[in-house]
Amino acid sequence: MIKTTNLTKKYGDFIALKNLNLEIKQGEIFCLLGANGAGKSTTINLLLNFIAPTSGQAFINDTDVVKNAKKTKSFLTYIPENLMLYPTLSAVENLDYFLGIGGGKFYKPELEAFLEEAGLQKEAHHKRIQFFSKGMRQKVGIALAIAKDAKVLLLDEPTSGLDPKSSNEFGELLKKMRKNNVAILMATHDIFRAKEIGTHIGIMKQGELKHSFATDQISLQDLEKLYLETMNLNEV
Amino acid sequence: MFLYNFKYELKSLLRSKWLFLLSTILLIVMLFAGYNGKQKVNKRIEDFSKITAQTEERDAVMLHVLDSLEKGLEVNMSNNLLPNNPMNVGYRYPKVAALQPKPLTFISVGQSDLFTHTVQPKIYGDNFSYNYSELSSPVQLLFGSFDIAFVIIYILPLIIIAFSYNILSKEKEYGSIKLLASQPISIYSWLLQKVTFRFFWLTLITSVVLLITFIINGFDFGDNMGAFLSLIMITTAYILFWFAIVLAINIFIGNSAKNAVSLLGIWVFVILIIPATVSQLANLAYPIPSRTKMLAEVRNVKKEIAEKQDKILDNYLRDHPEYASTGKEINYSFWHRYIASQNLAEAELKPLLASYTEQIENQQSWIENWQYISPAVIVQQSFNNLAGTSSAHYQEYKKQVVAFSVKWKDFFTPLLYKSQPFRKKMYKNLPMFEYQQPKIASMTFNAFIILFFSALILTFSWLFFNKKSEKGTLIN
Repeated sequence: MIKTTNLTKKYGDFIALKNLNLEIKQGEIFCLLGANGAGKSTTINLLLNFIAPTSGQAFINDTDVVKNAKKTKSFLTYIPENLMLYPTLSAVENLDYFLGIGGGKFYKPELEAFLEEAGLQKEAHHKRIQFFSKGMRQKVGIALAIAKDAKVLLLDEPTSGLDPKSSNEFGELLKKMRKNNVAILMATHDIFRAKEIGTHIGIMKQGELKHSFATDQISLQDLEKLYLETMNLNEV
Repeated sequence: MFLYNFKYELKSLLRSKWLFLLSTILLIVMLFAGYNGKQKVNKRIEDFSKITAQTEERDAVMLHVLDSLEKGLEVNMSNNLLPNNPMNVGYRYPKVAALQPKPLTFISVGQSDLFTHTVQPKIYGDNFSYNYSELSSPVQLLFGSFDIAFVIIYILPLIIIAFSYNILSKEKEYGSIKLLASQPISIYSWLLQKVTFRFFWLTLITSVVLLITFIINGFDFGDNMGAFLSLIMITTAYILFWFAIVLAINIFIGNSAKNAVSLLGIWVFVILIIPATVSQLANLAYPIPSRTKMLAEVRNVKKEIAEKQDKILDNYLRDHPEYASTGKEINYSFWHRYIASQNLAEAELKPLLASYTEQIENQQSWIENWQYISPAVIVQQSFNNLAGTSSAHYQEYKKQVVAFSVKWKDFFTPLLYKSQPFRKKMYKNLPMFEYQQPKIASMTFNAFIILFFSALILTFSWLFFNKKSEKGTLIN
């Protein structure tokens, strides 16, 4: 569902991403771990066609993200670290707006059902976003993915800054999405959450994917150790 | 996307109170500007009515006296007022030559209230050629009072800037641009729609506010709908021009604070610097001779002529044998000498006055040619033309008054030299002044030029957008 072949991004002499080969199938949650500047967000930006690759290719649902940017975006939902919705509009209105500009047309009860499925309490459906916590805004993002029937979910550090309860709730939502055959790519610093919800984990450093493995192949302790070793190894 | 953008942009604007604030500010300043302009127009109408009433009253007395004189009745009136003397009629009973305000004059008074709009050319005195020389530069007529033109040209762009300076940069700074860009839409189309809606709402609000202002000021829409629609057309084109600038700056710069500063810089350049430069260049290219020097020269010529009036009269009669050969003995009076000397004075002063007129006309055509480098000047010129307060209108008025003054004198001169009295039946043949509007540039053409500017800016903004999209700097 998500595939990259030798995906590379350079800014002059600086290599932000080097020959990334990645494949995430339906129902998989791939967690990209790495320090700041490792290339996690660059990967997501390339998949979203926010930036053009220097070389290599990226595909969403077998569609080239550069050649058919609009089409690939109809398959995916993106939730950045801070999902900024329109503060003067309510959750239902924001959902209606972002779905509507993309060509989707839903009635109010349907929108409310999507929000409810994403775990947003009923009382919050018609409240303005300006009064929402980060966790509540992320739930609106998930509702957007549910409503779009997204095949791919791209998440850029979605749990950073969330309290443990909200972070746990968000993890449960992702597991639910996975069961609905959504392919999820999540960039994160949170090793514990990656181990807990991910089906696969990748460790990035200086634009390169150093390790990639299935989550059930490694314990949390070993994962932490490998992560730290990878970080320190590159510094020596 | 169109309907959703429209619906939610309106909701956001209504909830943020922007539309309410915008409408209130515009309504207040527009009403005040309309009131201000109307006051000046009313003063002009009042002056005209007063002088017209006085003239009618005086003429009624004149006709009554003429009637009595023609019936052989005795009239208790001083000799120098008796209307059977054509020179008394030419001097004591002048007609009004007025540049009356047009229905739209109150929208663009500018500095036109400084000028003479009502004169009474007489057989004695100057032909009014000198009286208007205070108009040293047509550019001075361009910008002035706090009128509706001022609100539209100066204040409306500031409102547009305040309203939309961060239309894209806010999304970027706030972070919502990423969510938008991840939707299957074109961000340029989305942005263009957002700008279009704001343009639509502001144009609608401005039009409604103008409509209210015009209704309050008693504007007659029945007879002047075309002029009102021309005003709306030019205003709409001008609003579009500023929204195109706002869009380009949002794409080109992409930072709210820098956007605001850049837009204010453009405002200063388009509205203040370009018109001032055009004005200065007009003065440099076609400097107007000193008015003091001209007046001194006029005095000298008149003095010289006064000293040799007998000789001048002889020459004049030689040039006009129709007046000399009346077949009866004539005692040449002050008036005979005056008219003869006046003609000579006018002939001698003609080149001097022509140099003034020529320079003013040159400046005027300079402005007309160079107005097209700034939409602000085009709009002001268009409004002045609609209001009838442009330099072209005033120059035309001057010309027509001078021509009328000559016509007035020419009516009485034959009667003077042929020693014929002025009769009651001649009253209806007295020359009357009726101002003929000058030909002005087409409003549609002016609107088209402003639209051309907007199209050019939109094309550049689209190119900037593509360049930034390729670099990935538009979203990140």
